[in-house]
Amino acid sequence: MSTYLLHADKRLAAEEKQTFMSNAPTYEIDLKAFWRDPYPDLKAMRETAPIAYVPQLGATLLTKRDDIFVNEKLIEYFSSDQPEGLMTVLMGQNLMRKDGAAHMAERKVIFPAVSPKAVKTVWNAKFEELTKEVLQRVKPSGRADMVRDIAMPISGEALKAITGLTNMKWQEMDRVSQGMIDGCANYAGDPDVEARCHDCTASIDRHIDEMVPILSETPDMSLLSVQLQAGLSPEQYRANVKLAISGGQNEPRDVIAGLIWTMLTHPDQYDLIKSGQFTWLNAFEEYSRWMSPVGMSPRRMTQTYAVNDVTFDPDDRVFLMFGSGNRDADIFEKPDEFDMNQDCSASIAFGAGPHFCAGAWAARSLIADFAMPLIFSELTGLHIDGPVEFGGWAFRGPLALPVAWDA
Amino acid sequence: MPAISVTWVLPDGNSRTADVQEGHNLMEAAVSNGIAGISGDCGGALACATCHVAVLEGSESAKTCGEMEDDMLDMVDGERSETSRLSCQLIASSDLDGIVLRIP
Ligand code: HEM
Ligand code: FES
Repeated sequence: MSTYLLHADKRLAAEEKQTFMSNAPTYEIDLKAFWRDPYPDLKAMRETAPIAYVPQLGATLLTKRDDIFVNEKLIEYFSSDQPEGLMTVLMGQNLMRKDGAAHMAERKVIFPAVSPKAVKTVWNAKFEELTKEVLQRVKPSGRADMVRDIAMPISGEALKAITGLTNMKWQEMDRVSQGMIDGCANYAGDPDVEARCHDCTASIDRHIDEMVPILSETPDMSLLSVQLQAGLSPEQYRANVKLAISGGQNEPRDVIAGLIWTMLTHPDQYDLIKSGQFTWLNAFEEYSRWMSPVGMSPRRMTQTYAVNDVTFDPDDRVFLMFGSGNRDADIFEKPDEFDMNQDCSASIAFGAGPHFCAGAWAARSLIADFAMPLIFSELTGLHIDGPVEFGGWAFRGPLALPVAWDA
Repeated sequence: MPAISVTWVLPDGNSRTADVQEGHNLMEAAVSNGIAGISGDCGGALACATCHVAVLEGSESAKTCGEMEDDMLDMVDGERSETSRLSCQLIASSDLDGIVLRIP
């Protein structure tokens, strides 16, 4: 690709700035354009430099599906423990930033709160109730922003239940989640962003402190409660609740709104659901492949290691680009199209290793069993009512989706 | 390391048999033998349920799943059966020699 060749000389300059980087070819991006739509650059990388160093991100990107699928599992090389990383510094060392036995021990503790069984026996009833409540609230107005007024409260209310922070408002849930995400992406070190992130984690700590005595008295299946029951330390349960909030609010929100938009703009695909040929779960899985809500997960190299013809050095920063792997033309028939007729089972939207999304079962059920069917059945005549824009590469979804229906 | 014989019955009715070194789990064995329908996304961390099999022939212990595994199997794709297992939890040992697994 021309960009790649053009910037071969710039690589030397980048090498001088950045001491820890692999010998991968350099691929330059325009950060703003990448944020608006990362897919053209990711496609160019897959075709010309599938493992590329991107100086604007200060990281080496794995962009092919199989490279990610194979290497994510090699935790002795691709470590999740990033003590200097912003997430650990700002939010504490949660289980997503641990490896091996330490990671598995905490996964095991939170398992009863997020297992398929818990979803079926505990959360589904809650999901149905809260989705109906949100829809009853907006229904009379006849119009709304699908992202802010419908998807966000559904996601926020569900996360309040799962985390155990039922004392939080859904608006606050979204605010603290976004504040932490922004803090973790604040590579430029903007002091305002950092201050906002501290304010958000402090708010979560206050809400946790309020709930601890209540949940100690009356334990339940929430994430906070199962960690208290297992005797995890305050550092551990605080960090893991923050992780669930930073990693469990925006994705369901973005999938609900994004999938509504997809159905309204692909009527032929919506017909396949209405006719019963495909299920909402099929739509969920194909959407998550096509417009992966989590585009990336970072790793740190522990030792020298070669993948194909690229050699990584210890402490190299590596980004596993799930969103890119999910559009790999060697794996998927129509990578750039939303089409439920294709086989999307090789999708890595939930990750491809031991850090496989803990909330996957809850998210699938909330969205496929409740949010999607109820939004369409409650809001008859649902249609798009204004301009729609998508954004993001690490997290991606519609920024706003104005809709209207027959009130 | 001695090896055991493992057979997978595929959804189309065909079957495949392979030797598996003792100590390896049967999800890894399926993936390295290219058995379609077993992808093992989480690498055996009991998180993804993409390694679901039903034990057609095998010992009682091979047909009995652990507690976490049981909770995971509550929502696997495809029908759950009496002898459903997550094959990343089945470790090849002489006890499992000749086991027959169905891919749902
Ligand atoms: C459609 C919705 C969602 C998507 C696409 C998604 C995607 C992901 C991805 C890609 C990862 C990283 C996996 C890796 O590095 O291999 C992850 C991790 C995680 N997610 Fe989700 N997620 C979703 C919803 C949720 C929800 C609702 C929750 C909370 C209840 C949640 C909690 C977590 C946790 C705790 C982790 C860390 C797991 C670990 O490190 O072991 N996620 N998710
Ligand atoms: S490989 Fe993920 S549960 Fe078996």
